[in-house]
Parts: sequence; structure tokens; C-alpha cells
Amino acid sequence: MIDLHGYGPRLLEGAGVTLQLAVLSLILALVLGLLTASAKMSRSWLLHKVATLYTTIIRGVPDLVLMLLLFFGGQMALNVVTDAIYDRTGLDWYINLNAFAAGVLTIGFIFGAYMGETFRGAFMAVEHGQIEAGKAYGMSPWLVFRRIRFPQMMRHALPGISNNWMVLLKTTALVSVIGLSDMVRVAAEASRATHEPFTFLIPVAAVYLLIASVSEWLFARLQKRYNVGFGGH
Amino acid sequence: MADTPIPLEVRNIKKRFGDTEVLKGLSLEARKGDVITLIGASGSGKSTFLRCMNLLEQPDEGDLIVHGEEIRFKQTRHGREPADWKQVVRMRARLSMVFQSFNLWSHMTLLENIIEAPVHVLGKPKKEAIEHARALLERVGLTARADAYPAQMSGGQQQRGAIARALAMDPEVMLFDEPTSALDPELVGDVLKVMRDLADEGRTMVVVTHEMGFARDVSSQVIYLHQGLVEEAGPPQEVLVNPTSPRLKQFLAPKY
Repeated sequence: MIDLHGYGPRLLEGAGVTLQLAVLSLILALVLGLLTASAKMSRSWLLHKVATLYTTIIRGVPDLVLMLLLFFGGQMALNVVTDAIYDRTGLDWYINLNAFAAGVLTIGFIFGAYMGETFRGAFMAVEHGQIEAGKAYGMSPWLVFRRIRFPQMMRHALPGISNNWMVLLKTTALVSVIGLSDMVRVAAEASRATHEPFTFLIPVAAVYLLIASVSEWLFARLQKRYNVGFGGH
Repeated sequence: MADTPIPLEVRNIKKRFGDTEVLKGLSLEARKGDVITLIGASGSGKSTFLRCMNLLEQPDEGDLIVHGEEIRFKQTRHGREPADWKQVVRMRARLSMVFQSFNLWSHMTLLENIIEAPVHVLGKPKKEAIEHARALLERVGLTARADAYPAQMSGGQQQRGAIARALAMDPEVMLFDEPTSALDPELVGDVLKVMRDLADEGRTMVVVTHEMGFARDVSSQVIYLHQGLVEEAGPPQEVLVNPTSPRLKQFLAPKY
């Protein structure tokens, strides 16, 4: 058994942080992605512009820069607001943006843009006749979405979602720069203190690999479910 | 019968796509048990006319009255649109459409396709819907294919399945949009047979078709459209057997 020099519990905790961060960011990214895709496909000029601006900025600026910008800039913006409230009303509503929340927001925000493109392509791949049949049978737009568009779209979206998820998972390592004690930060700290980088970084790599492998298996099962009726695969 | 509302009335429907006026004022009245066939060359507007009847296309002008209820419209930035989509949903549930390319939902089995709208739109209990669906499947000769997905069925089977799906709504009027045009010739007969049976049992139907034999034997009224206008209309014995319009004569003349 490898000697973790007493860092074992903290590493394990860090792995928990990584996993929670990744899953919460994924949920946020999926919601934002669906909203972005809907906005881009809507008839509203304004919604379309806003969504395009969002995806353009996110896709053009490095993740690390966005994260720092949101963490420090976000704190500053919050301070301006809370200071103003204090000056006028005397109420002290100071909020300390915690690193975990900032991490989830940033990663969710970044990947929402990528998910948006994935979903948009997938929605466009659904045959128009399928939607028309829903309308012709008296389904409301929401029912058409829930019963026909969404399940048929997922078949096309899953490969992209799975790909985005793998990248998202690895992007969580960036949160160590804003001071969140995820698995990578703990390992880096331990490596420096003990001068044994492999002892800590190899288990960390293995945990990422494990999460990735389990996800791949889960995605394959989902894909199978959404492929029902389409033959092949 | 006098006080039952007329299932479907359309008056003076006009529709343009860009600069082209495809429907120039078309009217139709489907009384209970009527089988109205719309014929005409491609581009005559017959499919567009049919699609205006359940508002898959929005007519630019004209009235639509389903079961005595007039559909209300309003003008928007995007053109004329129904004022109340709930009303449209209600009216569509009274009409059911059979498409040229079947459009069975590909992620559902045939049985699931048939119970989908009755359960989720009409709010029918699932068990009852399944029983009804099984009876309909037997009627169109597809009992054995209940659990098949559309992709596993032939075109003819899919179209008969689509007819079962339409019947499951207990529709007041059935709209058929060239139901046999996408089928291999040897599969057309089965579908037409099902449609003839429906006509015989007194279903109200509006059918866009190229099947002149069907139009002649089954319809109560034939409407021949040319460039978005009615060129000739009447009982099949007159319109198809003794046409007066030279264009219709030419349209009906054997082509090979």
C-alpha cells in the first residue's frame, strides 16, 4: 500500500469536491444549453442575439481567464452592490462569493455555451414530419417538446453531451487556482510538501480515469435507450 | 341530424408563399359522412389547402369552422395567426391527419403511437386506450405488429398503422394527404381497402389523392383544383366521367 503521508482523507475529500463540482456544473450547463438552443431557434430577434453573444464570448475566451474574471470580478461587482446598500440603508449584506459556487457558476456557464450548440444541432436533426404529426394530433407545443422533440433530439445530442462532459470533468481541475480544495489542489500541496509528486498525482489521475470510465458506461446505456426504434448502433 | 353541427366548413381560404399566391379563395363543406376528394396536378394547391384545414399552414384569409366553432384569428408581426392556441389544439383533436410520409413517431412502438394522443391529449385512461388500440390494429390487419417500431415495418404497414392512430382519436373528420403516394405500387391496395371500408361505414373524410379509381368509387364530391382555384367540382359521375373543363379532360386523359 502506498504511504500517503496522512494526506489520504484530504485527498478523498478533494475527490468528493471534484465530483460534486463536476455534476452540479453539468446540470447547470445542460439547463443553460437547452435555454441557449431554444433562444437561438426562437423567432425573437433579441433572444437570438443574446444567445449568440453568449456563445461567441464563451467560446472565444480561455476558461481560466473566464474563471478568474468571474471569481474576482464577480466579488467586486457584489461588493459594489452591497456597499451601496450599506451606504443607503445601513444594512450589512456583505456576501463572500465562495469558491465552490464560483466554480460551479463558471464551469456551468462555459459548458452551457457548448451544450447549446450540441442541442441546437440535435434539435435540427429531428425530422419535421415528426413534430408536425404531434401538432396535427392536438398536442400543445410543450407536449410536443416533452413527448417527441426531446426524446428524438437526445439520440443526436448524447454523443456531444458525453464529449462535453469529459472535457468539463477535466476542466474542474482549474478551480484550484481560485482556492478551492479539490483533488488536484490537495495533491499539488502534498507533492510540494513531501517531494513525492508521483505518490499523489498518479492516484489523482486514476480517479479521473475511473470517473471517466464509469461515465462512458453510463452514456453508452443512455445512448442505447434513446436509440430505440432507430435501428443500427 | 339537423341540429348536429357541420363537422368542417372552410370559406374563402387564401394563402401566399412570398410572391406566389397558392390558394386564391377556396371553400369546402364536409357534412357528416361526406367523402370529399381533392384532385389536381402538383402545384395546384391541394395539399396546402388540406394543411390549412388543421392549421399546419396558416391561411392569410378565410374562415374555418370546426363542429360549429369558428376559429378566431389575429394579425401579428409574423402575419395572421390563431388568436387562441387552446382553441386550435381542441379543433385539431377533432380532425386527424394521415400524412403522405406516414410520420409515425419513430421512437415509439406502433401501439405506443396509437395510444399517445388519446392518452396525452384527450386524457383517456391508458388501459382503455390500449384496448381500443388493439381493436383498431385488428381492423387494419396489424395485430402482430403492435410492438414493432415504425422502422421495422413496410410502408404499407406504416400507413395502415397511421390510419389506426388517426382512428384512435375518434375524429369527426379524417384528413388524408396523398396517403398512397409514397408507397410501392403493390402496397397501395391494402391502404386503399382500409380507406374504402372507412368511407363505407360513414366516416367523414377529406382526401387529397392521385388515385382516380378511389375518387370515382368512394367520393361523394370531387373537387378539381387548378392553380389555387376550383376548376370543377361535383359528384364523381359528373366530374370524373363527364368533365366539362378542357384542363380536367386533359388531366384525366391516360398518360401512357
